[in-house]
Amino acid sequence: MLKIENLSVRVGGKDILRKINLEIKKAEIHALLGPNASGKSTLVYTMMGFPDYQIMEGEIDFKGKNIESLSIEERAKLGIALAFQHPPIIKGIKLSKLLEKISKQVINIKKFPIKSDLLSREINVGFSGGERKLSEIIQIISLNPSFVIFDELDSGLDVEMLEKLAIIIKDKLLNNDVSILLITHRGNILHFLKPDFAHVIINGELICSSKDWKDMWETIRKYGYEKCKECKEHKLLSD
Amino acid sequence: MKNVKNVKSINYYQIDYNVNKIFEREGAVILSSPEAYKKLRWTRDYFKQEPKEGYFIWVKKSIGYPLITRITISSPKVIQKPENLVVIEKNVEVKIQSICNASKKNLEGKHIGCSKIILRENSVLKMKHFHSWGKRDWVESSLEFFLGKGAKLSYAYKCLEIPMKLKTENNTYLKENSSSNLIITILAKDGEVDMRDSTFLNGRESNGISRLRMIGNKRSKIVARSQIVANDAGIGHVDCMGLLLSENSSIQAIPELINRNKDASLTHEASVGKISEEALNYLRSRGLTEDEAIDLIVNGFLGEEEPIIIKGRIVPSKLYM
Repeated sequence: MLKIENLSVRVGGKDILRKINLEIKKAEIHALLGPNASGKSTLVYTMMGFPDYQIMEGEIDFKGKNIESLSIEERAKLGIALAFQHPPIIKGIKLSKLLEKISKQVINIKKFPIKSDLLSREINVGFSGGERKLSEIIQIISLNPSFVIFDELDSGLDVEMLEKLAIIIKDKLLNNDVSILLITHRGNILHFLKPDFAHVIINGELICSSKDWKDMWETIRKYGYEKCKECKEHKLLSD
Repeated sequence: MKNVKNVKSINYYQIDYNVNKIFEREGAVILSSPEAYKKLRWTRDYFKQEPKEGYFIWVKKSIGYPLITRITISSPKVIQKPENLVVIEKNVEVKIQSICNASKKNLEGKHIGCSKIILRENSVLKMKHFHSWGKRDWVESSLEFFLGKGAKLSYAYKCLEIPMKLKTENNTYLKENSSSNLIITILAKDGEVDMRDSTFLNGRESNGISRLRMIGNKRSKIVARSQIVANDAGIGHVDCMGLLLSENSSIQAIPELINRNKDASLTHEASVGKISEEALNYLRSRGLTEDEAIDLIVNGFLGEEEPIIIKGRIVPSKLYM
C-alpha cells in the first residue's frame, strides 16, 4: 500500500527527517511513536505533499505509484487521507457544505455520536476537542480512503470519547481493509486499536520498529524515549 | 422566505428613468417618489428636493412576505438618480428586497441613488440590498436609516459585481432601545470601492452593529471607513474583515469609534489578509483543487447565498444577477 524508502526531508533549510524507511501493507495498522519535535508531523505532511516539505532524497510509493511529484489533492484522490491534530477554523463554511463537496460515499450521520447541530456549524468554529476529532473522522470516512493517517487522534480527548472513536474506526475503516498510520505519543489509542507494528522516531530518525507494541510502549512509559536510544532489544525490521 | 405563495411580482420596477411597474400590496402604499411628493405633502419633509425618480413605500400593516424593488439600467449612458423613501409605521414588521443593477455589462451608465428609510417606534425591517453592475458603470449610493424608539433594523448589502467606481455612504441613527445590524459584503474585481458607514447611538440602550466583508481581487482598491458614534449610553460594535486574493489589489479598513458618553461601550475588530495556507492545505487534503478550495473559502467569507423572489419563484441572487 505505502512504501517509504530512504526518505530525507528538509523544512525551512533545516534537515528534519533522515533516511526513513517504512512499509505499510493493506489493512495493517502501524503506530508511530516519538517525543515532541521528533519529526512525526514532518513525516505526515511530507506524505500528504504539503508545500515547504522538501524531499532531499528517497521515495514515497503509494499503491505502486511514485507520488512525490503529486499535489496534495492528487494524493487525496489516490486514497490517502489525513485526520489533522489541529484542524484549522474555516469561517463561513458549514461542515455539511464541506461534506457535500468532498464526499465520495453517503454517510449516515445518525450513526455518529454527535449533536444534531454539528453539521450546520462552521468548520471547527467553537468545536470542542471531541467534536473536532469527530468532524475529522466523518470527513475521512466520507472520502472512502484506502490509507488514513491519524495525527495525534488521542490528544485532548478523554478515554470514553477515544473509545467511541476507536469503535467507529474499527467499524468504518478497519472492516473495509483500510490501512492506518497512528501518530501518537500516548498509549491509550494503542490499547484500543492494537497496531500490527509500532515504530519509534527520535530526532528525525526511525530508530526502532517492532511487532510487540505492548513491550515497546511499556518501555517508553516506564523509562521515556531516552531509553529507546540505548535499547538493544528492538531492532529495525529491515535490519 | 417561506410565504411565497401569494407573491406575484416585483412591487416597484424602474427601467432607466421610467417606472415599468408598480404592484401594491395590502398594508402598503407604493408609489413613484415624484407621485408621492405630489400626492402626500408630508413626504416633502423627507425629500431634499422634488424627486424625479425612485420609489416611495409606506408600510402601514405588517406583511409576511418581502416587498421587492428593482431599479435597472438597461440602455447605454443612462444617468439614474433615484430618490427613495420608505416609511414603516409603528409596530409594523416588513421585509424588503431591493435590487439595483445594470442589465448588460457594457452600458456605461451612472446610478446615483439616495434612500431614506424611516422606522417608526417598535417597527422591524429586514432589508436585503443587492447591487450588480457592468465594468464601465459608475455608482454612488447613499442610505439613511432613522430608527425610532424600540425599532429593529437588519440590513444586508451585497455587491458581487462592482462597477469601475462604487461609492457608498450609509448613516444609521438610533433612538432609545432601538437596534441595527448591518452587514455589507463586497467582492471587488477591476474597480474602486469607497465605503463609508456611520452608526449614531443617540438613545439609551441603543445597539448598533456594523460588519464589513470585503474581498479584493484583480486590480481592485477598497477603502472602507466604518464608524460608530455614541452620543448616549448605547452599545456599538464595528468589524471590518478583508480578504486579499491578488497582489495588485488593496484594502484599507478604517474602523473608528467615537464615544461621547461614559456609559456607552464601543468595540471594534479589523483584519485584512490573504487566505491562510493552512486552510487551503486542509481543504486540498480533502481532494479539492486549489481553485476549488479558494472558491469555497471566498463563498464562505461572502456569506450564505441570498435567495430573492421573482414572480413567486425563489431565485439564487447569483443566477439572477
